[in-house]
Amino acid sequence: MTTKYSRDDTKLLFAKLRETEDPELREELARLHLPLVEYLAKRFKDRGEPLDDLIQVGSVGLLKAIDRFDLDRGVEFSTYATPTIVGELKRYFRDKGWAVRVPRRLQELSLRLNKVVSQLTQDLGRSPTVSEIAQAAEVSEEEVLEALESGQAYSTTSLDAPAGNDDEDTPQRLERMGEDDIALDNLEYFASLAPLIEQLPEREREILYLRFFKGMTQSKIAEHVGISQMHVSRLLSRILEFLRSGMEGDAEY
Amino acid sequence: MTPSGVITVRIPAEAGHVPLLRTAVAGVAARQEFTLEEVDDLRMGVEEAAVILLRRGAGEPIELHLEITGDGLDIRLETAVDGEEPAIDTASFSWTILSALVDEVASTREGSHARITLAKRRMQSTRP
Repeated sequence: MTTKYSRDDTKLLFAKLRETEDPELREELARLHLPLVEYLAKRFKDRGEPLDDLIQVGSVGLLKAIDRFDLDRGVEFSTYATPTIVGELKRYFRDKGWAVRVPRRLQELSLRLNKVVSQLTQDLGRSPTVSEIAQAAEVSEEEVLEALESGQAYSTTSLDAPAGNDDEDTPQRLERMGEDDIALDNLEYFASLAPLIEQLPEREREILYLRFFKGMTQSKIAEHVGISQMHVSRLLSRILEFLRSGMEGDAEY
Repeated sequence: MTPSGVITVRIPAEAGHVPLLRTAVAGVAARQEFTLEEVDDLRMGVEEAAVILLRRGAGEPIELHLEITGDGLDIRLETAVDGEEPAIDTASFSWTILSALVDEVASTREGSHARITLAKRRMQSTRP
């Protein structure tokens, strides 16, 4: 995209979007700025998370920026969006993150094992066992367990994860919007949960449905949705946590 | 070679101790050739069951029993409860979740004790 053209284009699209609220314009703007997301996501790529996941996370930031951008401010959209996208990426690492103090040695091992796990998952066509990981990474099973445990530290902190519900559909998801919204129909069977489930972003709702109602494995869901299995695992834990606290009357996804 | 027997963890009826049960089941399952995904399922399953018992329980400790079987893991969670009903209604969302996470779910009463049993077989890995 040529910068000059795209800038004018962007302004025009924003003006139209504010006027019409047309979701297609929002999608168009997202598509136009996906290279910015990719560029920013790459800055985080050596932290052991798959680039695809990072782009997905960054896209959420992009959509937030699109929804909040004020044309009258006189700044370029890309200038405005950059901190929002980077913020989203940082939050992702913080949420999953080493909120619990984890020794550097373990952090490094854990990041290395992430790569081994994805490789093995691909080779085996299923999730690997601890002994398989140990063998492939040439470390002891105990070390693998220790590293996995530390990598799991996120789940004990997921309670204070994202406040507010402005996680919107990602561009990838938007492309698939034509699909029937079976998930919601099935989930609504549980009447008491319906209002909570409605608060979930589309993608999370889909993951919930595929895992618990279709019995799909995490790896299959990962393939289907286009994120890593570990990301699916994290989202599932977070979703269940949300539904649980929601039933006690106090939840924000 | 494979250790057998029953491992028991008992926690006070407080939500803050539930992660310990999760960690215990994950630690045992990971050493039993379950795949990471299956370990994750067990972790989520035990958490769900423990939360149910916390909610239904009379404030007595919650016990987690992990029994290593030939082809997997049998899990029992127990606590004292008030009332007569089993801990989980089979029409509930919790039941649906648990059924997706493990191979067998049961919710029974034995006197004043409510028990949730979960069984998970090693399906994904072909190794014994």
